[in-house]
Amino acid sequence: MKYAKVYADDVNVGDELPPLVKGPIQQIQLTRYAGASGDFNPIHQDDEFAKSAGMGGVFAHGMLSMGFVAQALTDWAGAGRVTKLGVRFAALVRLKDVVTCRGRVVGKSSKDDRHLVELDVWAENQRGERIVTGRATVALPARG
Amino acid sequence: MPIQINRGVIGKEFPPYAVTVERGKIKEFARAIGDPNPFYLDDRVGAASEWGDIIAPPTFPITFRDESADTNALLRELGTDISRVLHGEQEFELHRPLRPGRTYLCRARVSDIYEKTGKSGPMAFVVRETTVTDSDNEIVAVMRGVTVVRL
Repeated sequence: MKYAKVYADDVNVGDELPPLVKGPIQQIQLTRYAGASGDFNPIHQDDEFAKSAGMGGVFAHGMLSMGFVAQALTDWAGAGRVTKLGVRFAALVRLKDVVTCRGRVVGKSSKDDRHLVELDVWAENQRGERIVTGRATVALPARG
Repeated sequence: MPIQINRGVIGKEFPPYAVTVERGKIKEFARAIGDPNPFYLDDRVGAASEWGDIIAPPTFPITFRDESADTNALLRELGTDISRVLHGEQEFELHRPLRPGRTYLCRARVSDIYEKTGKSGPMAFVVRETTVTDSDNEIVAVMRGVTVVRL
């Protein structure tokens, strides 16, 4: 069930996030993301510009892929639960690529009433190449 | 000819700037990502939530730009231009969710510049850190972005 509530008690190291599949990436989404984010770098919009910059053509904003990873986290943990998310942009996402976001719990800690879960997160394209890798922390409620 | 990056930019602090989070911008941002989460999009769900209103998605603070600043000025000062730069890394520390109608103050600085040679040649990494505080001067978010410059 989507947006089910996850409690810290029920999470174990090794648990995996439900994969989130996004795309295929279309130019219109990059244009919408430019407008929404304010990042109008022509390298994401103008194929000629991207080619002349030596990038072989238009590619997606790294921040769009990071937004997908954040969505995978909040679909599972709930909106407002992510306390840290850090990623490296490992490879370019091109038009028509399909991006699958994944994650795995690597640690749990509790201090007072705060229950933190740490995850390795990543996203891969349709060839299984990692396009984003990173770490995240979510704060979850406890039962009772 | 490889270009030279001006390392004198390390430590540079930008003038603080205020941003007011607009309800419509939160929704536009969530929709652009294709995230239908009702805590971002549905005012009634937001009103009934623990925050009393919709909240912004985790990566939303990336939209916090200084509208009065020339975005290419830093690139010029570094000695490069937009055709040579890529987003290398990004991190968000989120202390509490951002809400519509609130005004936040952003303080940004260049915290480091380092060079490495990768598969595609020599590159410079420019680290920019932005601290976002609320009207009580409490830190609500810290962003760290690494821009890669192909030299």
